Amino acid sequence: MTTIDPNTPQVSPEVLAVHKKAIRQQKIRRGLTYALAGVICLWIIVPIFFIFSMAFTTQETVRSYPKGFLPFIPFSTETMTFFLNSDGIVPGLINSVLVAVITLVLSTLIAAPAGYAISRYIFPGRNFFRLSILAVRAFPIVVLSIPLAVMFIQLGFFDSIYSLSLMHTALALPTTVLVIGSVFASIPYELEEAAQVFGCTPFQAFRHVVLPLVLPGIAASGLFTFVMSWNEVFAASILTIQNRTLPAQVLFALSNSSEAYQFAGGFFLLIPSLLFMFFIRNYLFNMWGQVSK
Amino acid sequence: MVQGLILAIYDDEANLALLEEADLDAPTADLIAQSASIDILGRQGNLVPEEELEEGNLLTEVWFRIEAPDVDGNQVDGWASESRIRVREEAEDGTPIMGTVRRRLGSNADPLTSVFSEPNEKSEVVGQLEARTEVQIQDLATLEVWFLVSGEHEGQAVEGWAPSRFIQIFEDEVTGRVDRGNTGEFTTEFIEKMVNDRFFWPAVRSTAILMLIIIPTQFVLAIVMALVIQAQLRFNSFILYIFAIPLGVSDLAVGILWFAIFTQNGLLNSFLQTVGAIDTPSAWLTADSRNWILVAIWLAEVWRATSIVMVIVVSGLQAISNEVLEAAEVFGANLWQRLRYVILPLLRPSLQVALILRTILAFQVFAVVIALSGGDVVTVLANESYRQYFELRNTNVAAAYAFFILILSMFTSVIYLRAVRTQEEVAA
Repeated sequence: MTTIDPNTPQVSPEVLAVHKKAIRQQKIRRGLTYALAGVICLWIIVPIFFIFSMAFTTQETVRSYPKGFLPFIPFSTETMTFFLNSDGIVPGLINSVLVAVITLVLSTLIAAPAGYAISRYIFPGRNFFRLSILAVRAFPIVVLSIPLAVMFIQLGFFDSIYSLSLMHTALALPTTVLVIGSVFASIPYELEEAAQVFGCTPFQAFRHVVLPLVLPGIAASGLFTFVMSWNEVFAASILTIQNRTLPAQVLFALSNSSEAYQFAGGFFLLIPSLLFMFFIRNYLFNMWGQVSK
Repeated sequence: MVQGLILAIYDDEANLALLEEADLDAPTADLIAQSASIDILGRQGNLVPEEELEEGNLLTEVWFRIEAPDVDGNQVDGWASESRIRVREEAEDGTPIMGTVRRRLGSNADPLTSVFSEPNEKSEVVGQLEARTEVQIQDLATLEVWFLVSGEHEGQAVEGWAPSRFIQIFEDEVTGRVDRGNTGEFTTEFIEKMVNDRFFWPAVRSTAILMLIIIPTQFVLAIVMALVIQAQLRFNSFILYIFAIPLGVSDLAVGILWFAIFTQNGLLNSFLQTVGAIDTPSAWLTADSRNWILVAIWLAEVWRATSIVMVIVVSGLQAISNEVLEAAEVFGANLWQRLRYVILPLLRPSLQVALILRTILAFQVFAVVIALSGGDVVTVLANESYRQYFELRNTNVAAAYAFFILILSMFTSVIYLRAVRTQEEVAA
């Protein structure tokens, strides 16, 4: 007597073979995908690792040739110390951080209500508003910087970290508004309504229900703004002379500086990205996905 | 924006207004172009506000307010030019307090020196002094010299007064040229300057070449990266982090990064030497290896800016419903067929946006070019704008470049949008 086990359905050997083949193919494909992922990761990491090893080694190693293979470059803080002690680096660093923080605060303060408005309310001209935000994105920095520099000179507002922060805020705002808007849009309005049904004022509903939910997203957009301002070179070089930011200073000194200075500077400029991308990687699709909608 | 356009096509120093009299309020007699040659016919001093004295190229003369007995023996109080008075006594701080009237030279010169009611030769004469009269100096005033000039403008002879700050006088003191104007005019001068600049066409060429090689590579790589992310591998979150790092790297940092690799004693040569492919380090980034610089810029830009395309593509992929993909798989479509007939058509809007964004951003890249080529062996449009502004102090030409970039950006965006719309219309 044969009992049919419901867990082992009767299949013909042919079907089994096909099934096996499919599974094997899937495994191969999976393996290939892993290999591909590994190769692309190496493509991104190897240059970073190399500049890191150049930034943290002796100046002698930087000058030496051939350099030997990657992990065998001696570690030392000499190049980095040399870079940080060079002219204008510490003030540049302070300026960069100040500009980035002011930009972050300004753009978040302006963008949060704007983002809330475009995600929650339907008002006349809403689409035009969204479009014009995108249009500002389309104006190249190059086009905005030069007339602004001339204007700032006329207003006696030139070469200051505040005017540069204004410029960076203008550059960051379109993205920030859209990102924060998308963060708000991902919180169902029903939550707010429910809170109001239970007796919250609209402000309380916002403060106790929506805000805790959107804070991580807003923080991510803030970090992104920070990185953007930290990285921005063109406007920073054009709008400042005495109060250069770090990238502007490095660019200015680039042509007549040693390789040790350049490599250490290059790595130093990378640091915020290395740190912050870790925290905001999951919000990236929120941010840039929004642009295409 | 608008001001940028104005800077590019409006020269606010194109012409100098020549006035009918040596007075700012006098009506304009004629215009004369900047850098035109002129003859100096006369001169006169005019009071200027103190803050304007700091301006460059200002020719000044000093007038004294003096008290002295005139020819008739009356005590007069009025103004005379410094050139007529020899200072004999000065206070401790250098302020003149006493002097004598100079003698006029030449046989038919008027032996008397006039004293005016105001520091201006046009004002009323209050008295005449004999040479060598002792005068008390009460006060002094600084005047800007105005010149009565004549020259030629657009084929017409023109004549009028202009302040010295706009004029450069040659050594013979009777000829000169218009140094700068004070009246604006629309002009194509800056655009011509831009187009005739020896770096303009090389910049256009390398911008175009870079665009053509960077963007396709980027899109292929970005789609591959996006598919890897969508495959939801075990370390997906970590892989995403690695993929996203270049998104936050500036073009300056990436330029330095790839400079470290391509420089003569850099990673690439070290590697090639270690594996025995070369015996001596080869120079990749010199004027003789222009194409290698382009390759380096290409790699650097692909390294840096692919992530943003990937992010947009991933967002687009997430919007494609799984049923569609599964259906394609059930019907036996292989990976390439799914990509070609299902995924890419559905991704088109995302790719569109990514394409426009990437193109606009690609026009703005300049620091990577400076880092890898020093900024003149290979140059791009944004770099020229920077150079014109920063090194050559040519704000207007820099604005012309910036505007050229804007027009190119808009032009390519419109072309992309058109291309898609016609495809959709064809489909419909």
